[in-house]
Amino acid sequence: MAGHSSVREDSSALSRADRALFRVESGLNLAAGVVVFALMLLAVAQIMGRKLFNVPVPGFIDWVEQAMAVFAFLGIAYCQRVGGHIRMDILIGRLTGRALWVAELISTVLMLLLTLALTVGAFRHFQRAFDWNATWFSRDSSIDIALPLWPAKLLVPLALGLLALRLALQIWGFWRALRDDDDAPVAVPLIESAAEVAAAEAETVIGEPVGERERG
Amino acid sequence: MDPLNIGLILSGLLVVLVLIGVRVGFAAAFVGFAGLFWIFAQKMGLEKGFDVAVSMAGSVPHSKATTYSLSLIPTFILIGYLAYYAGLTKYLFEAAKRWVGWLPGGLGVATVFATAGFAAVSGASVATSAVFARIAIPEMLAEGYDRRFAAGVVAAGGTLASLIPPSAILVIYAIIVEQSVGQLLLAGFIPGAYSALIYGLLVILMAKFRPSLGPAVRGFTWKQRFESIPGALPIFFVVAIIIYCIYFGWGTPTEAGALGAFVVLCMALWNGMKWGQLKSALMESAKLTVMIFTIIWGVLIYVRFLGFADLPGAFADFLSGLDQSPMVTLIMILLAYAVLGMFMDAIGMLLLTLPVVYPAVMALNGGLNVSAADSAFGMTGSECAIWFGIIVVKMAELCLITPPIGLNCFVVAGVRPDISVQDVFRGATPFFVADAITIAGLIAFPGIVLYLPRLLLG
Amino acid sequence: LEWNVSTWGKRRAFTEHLEKLAELVSEKTNGDFTMNVSYGGLSNNKENLDGIQIGAFEMAQFCAGYHEDKNPTVTVLELPFIGVQTLEEEVAVSEAVYALPAVKEDMARWNAMILMPSPMPQYNIVGTGEPRRTLADFEGMRVRATGGLGEAFAAVGAVPTSMTASEVYSAMESGVIDTAAFAQHAHLSFRTIDLATWWTENLNPGTVNCPVVANIDAYEALTPEQKQALDESAPEALAYYVQNYEKNVIGEWNRILEEKGVEKVHVSDEEIAAFREAAGGPARAAWTEQMKAQGLPAEELLATVDEALAKARE
Ligand code: NA
Ligand code: NA
Repeated sequence: MAGHSSVREDSSALSRADRALFRVESGLNLAAGVVVFALMLLAVAQIMGRKLFNVPVPGFIDWVEQAMAVFAFLGIAYCQRVGGHIRMDILIGRLTGRALWVAELISTVLMLLLTLALTVGAFRHFQRAFDWNATWFSRDSSIDIALPLWPAKLLVPLALGLLALRLALQIWGFWRALRDDDDAPVAVPLIESAAEVAAAEAETVIGEPVGERERG
Repeated sequence: MDPLNIGLILSGLLVVLVLIGVRVGFAAAFVGFAGLFWIFAQKMGLEKGFDVAVSMAGSVPHSKATTYSLSLIPTFILIGYLAYYAGLTKYLFEAAKRWVGWLPGGLGVATVFATAGFAAVSGASVATSAVFARIAIPEMLAEGYDRRFAAGVVAAGGTLASLIPPSAILVIYAIIVEQSVGQLLLAGFIPGAYSALIYGLLVILMAKFRPSLGPAVRGFTWKQRFESIPGALPIFFVVAIIIYCIYFGWGTPTEAGALGAFVVLCMALWNGMKWGQLKSALMESAKLTVMIFTIIWGVLIYVRFLGFADLPGAFADFLSGLDQSPMVTLIMILLAYAVLGMFMDAIGMLLLTLPVVYPAVMALNGGLNVSAADSAFGMTGSECAIWFGIIVVKMAELCLITPPIGLNCFVVAGVRPDISVQDVFRGATPFFVADAITIAGLIAFPGIVLYLPRLLLG
Repeated sequence: LEWNVSTWGKRRAFTEHLEKLAELVSEKTNGDFTMNVSYGGLSNNKENLDGIQIGAFEMAQFCAGYHEDKNPTVTVLELPFIGVQTLEEEVAVSEAVYALPAVKEDMARWNAMILMPSPMPQYNIVGTGEPRRTLADFEGMRVRATGGLGEAFAAVGAVPTSMTASEVYSAMESGVIDTAAFAQHAHLSFRTIDLATWWTENLNPGTVNCPVVANIDAYEALTPEQKQALDESAPEALAYYVQNYEKNVIGEWNRILEEKGVEKVHVSDEEIAAFREAAGGPARAAWTEQMKAQGLPAEELLATVDEALAKARE
């Protein structure tokens, strides 16, 4: 049930932090979707502009590549919150109780360590493209119309930083579950049983995004 | 330690991490990062080595994710969801059901043909499986179809989207080997239809010998059948627009894909799509997109490490040292892909292997500029590039339905949380046989691939 | 000692000096100092300077036009119509510019020092349909040309269109574009020549500049023998590159033009002068302005190019 999981909520500080973060994540994910939509319109403008007026969009590819950073990264923490990053759960799906929380903790800590390293690395990547003293602060630019690359490069460590925050929250959640031997902890993605899913499915409209469903 | 050995050890670690449930993109990135650290630490000491590994790994996500050729992927995913809200998929499935539902396993056959039809507007296997998991699986379950079988048909049917144009993965192949995107998309058409036919036959045979998989759906009159056709027409209209756009010089294939999405958007709005639905489509597309991009850059951090470990170079040396007929070597390469595909995502696998395997295959045939008469496989160099592209993309599609990292199966299980990913894998297993037959056919009769390119390019 | 060398694509005329350099250095040091040339395995083609600064590899090739803000001073060599006609002239102006302190400082920001150029011939255009011989013919012409070259064509009324190099063939085939500007080896490998009916042999609108750099720390860490082997081999490798390019690529190019009956369009001196005036002058002025804003010695860079070119012609 790799691409799907549910997140329980209550009035604890952890759950409130989870929901607050989730609002931010949802907004960013929607922004990513809107950029995908806008790119589609840009391509139509490119075709029509060229065909009808012999005026293609100047630097079309440069603009597309800059925009790609938005949809490639902005939704990354949202995807983690709703359990959307795929994985194999053949083994982990058979565990229950504390054994499961230990396994989830290991896996999430590993992800957090990696994400922190990548956040630092991605920030350095941004720094190499940024210069306080240069025109447009730019020390790296695109090939055709020389757009500054630092805004797109800055997006990556920001998105990864948010993901690190999300992972830290989930580690807190799994740690609490382990400590309290809780079968249904809040703020972490739970692997659902078929029956639970069927019940949830019955009361939702197909096509509603997972996140919306869980909040309602 | 020898970088090559580090490469082999950490590739083993990757399999372990994936098996214990670390999310795939992150597992690959973690192993890649660890490998870079190991290699640099050996060369320049722990502290400096760690520093360089952080910088190197951290530059990959932006560098690799903002590659223009990949910009098709979200558009191709969005088009899938929009087509769903425009009702295109529903009508297509309905028409297929009325026309071929009477066959044994009729809804399965209908699913195969409807996914093939939808493949003509969708460029991503994963999105196609996601959409049909919503449309076809509930109907099949309602008719008492076997749960695994239903999920397997949808997972396998989704792979057709990558051969039948438009196709993100064919574009990626064309970019890597520097061949014409248009020619490759053209070449994928007949093999895609042929592959759909083999899937259809397989479903019929399976249902005939094991009726418990699912019943035929009879009782549609000819009138009902013809009534279903207009509903399926818009999809042909979209296809016509895309083809017109590409072949009459309105835009590049990339741009044409976006135009197709725009036309489908207009249809969806015409059919009364609400803001809430558009928002859902955008949220879902964004989520699937970020998931795919995370795997891509995660795998590419791993690939970057392999580049420093020179695993591809070692493979090239091994291949060119073999003393046997080129066809045997080609088949061995394809078998290696089948094994590799079990552990890798399709795009990552092609990105990793093609820089090494493509020149080797071209050399096996007799070089880039060989004539058909002098070649090993009976085709010119540029024909071989196209032919191998279609075969290797079909192999890559196979890895979308093989455990443990078959993306299509994960997506079906993701959309249908009541079906476990293990069940989808089991349901998809028979389709390996169909794919083996398809690939054997493509090798034995290269004309299936080369007919259209030869016809249009003389 | 083994150096990792990062370039991209596949082995071709454009990378032959790297392969030759590796061979010569290994020979001269009896295998004590070797180089491992990687085609895309170590870095993206636009991030080779990043890799050098990080210290991930010791040597790399890059093109200034891929990212002008990374290497503003080197872009002087990519200005349209600087007047270079042959590979030898390209080598001469490149080396003169690389020797300037401003360029060395620019590169030192990336912890890089330039070893040698990868001289590229001028980006003459191939086209479909009727040959375009005059500026009036360029009006409305859809051309695949990027960066400063695209701007130059736009200055005379052509329409530069943005697409990747691998899209160019199908775009030209279907009529999305009429012409494409590349060096000859790229016209051959992206197969634009298969569709072309004509090629401008003397328009010489400009080219890209792609130096080979080494990591300064790695260079300083070489033993005197290794350093000497590297320093001595670079000019030899470069000479081999030029000879190979002229013999194999230009030779092959002329053979294919003949075989396919592609017309060599000779643009008249008056038309070229008019083009230079319309595009070259304004580009120089705009570039000078831009460099000065960043405190870079624009006039010195331009004068160096002109002087080196005049000297090479003597
Ligand atoms: Na498709
Ligand atoms: Na797989």
